[in-house]
Amino acid sequence: MYPYEAMFLVDPVKHGEDAAATEKVVSALLEKHGAKVTRFEKWDDRKLAYDIKGHKRGIYLLALFEMPGANLASLRGDCELNETILRQLILRLDTDIPTYLEQCAKYQEKTREELESRRAARREDEEQGEEGIEDFASVQE
Amino acid sequence: MREKREKREKRDKKKFKRFQARTCRFERMGVELIDWKDVATLQRLCTGQSMVLARKRSGTSALFQRKVKEAIKRARFMALIPYEGS
Repeated sequence: MYPYEAMFLVDPVKHGEDAAATEKVVSALLEKHGAKVTRFEKWDDRKLAYDIKGHKRGIYLLALFEMPGANLASLRGDCELNETILRQLILRLDTDIPTYLEQCAKYQEKTREELESRRAARREDEEQGEEGIEDFASVQE
Repeated sequence: MREKREKREKRDKKKFKRFQARTCRFERMGVELIDWKDVATLQRLCTGQSMVLARKRSGTSALFQRKVKEAIKRARFMALIPYEGS
């Protein structure tokens, strides 16, 4: 059993407006291959950065699970055959799932802090910059 | 006179600040990984044409630049960020 992180890009129109049915396709697939799912998230229907198989929009499903390594190839194969799944990315994690989630949460928090501090610094710089120009003019005199 | 000198010193200090050696933002944050699902951060590590920012420009350390590269490639594959163009 290894920890995996997988993201599936699902066709939003295949099951009409029924989002639960689309989710079920993926969760059934994972179950079939003996995956022990610890987290299953559905992201909002969003615009793709580029067209995939003629689709401009897609639903992202993120799953964190444990699965025997031997089943990986068959899971990938089944995803390829499935018409609802447009694209999938299955990654083996270096750490166990709780540690990974912790690290991700930490990353989110730290990047947000960094962004805020950068914004504050820039604002300060701008305010000071204006003063600086005035200073420069007075020194020139 | 003294006032002028103080002003000049203040200005030079500000000038110098611009050329201060930068440290890697991720090392400063103390994170272990680059989350490839965090689109907003990855986009700030790309140019307007979605090319990966050079280390020289972003100030990222070698270790984290490799992680950044991996994260951007994963996000591109899942169509979270574009391969080219904006």
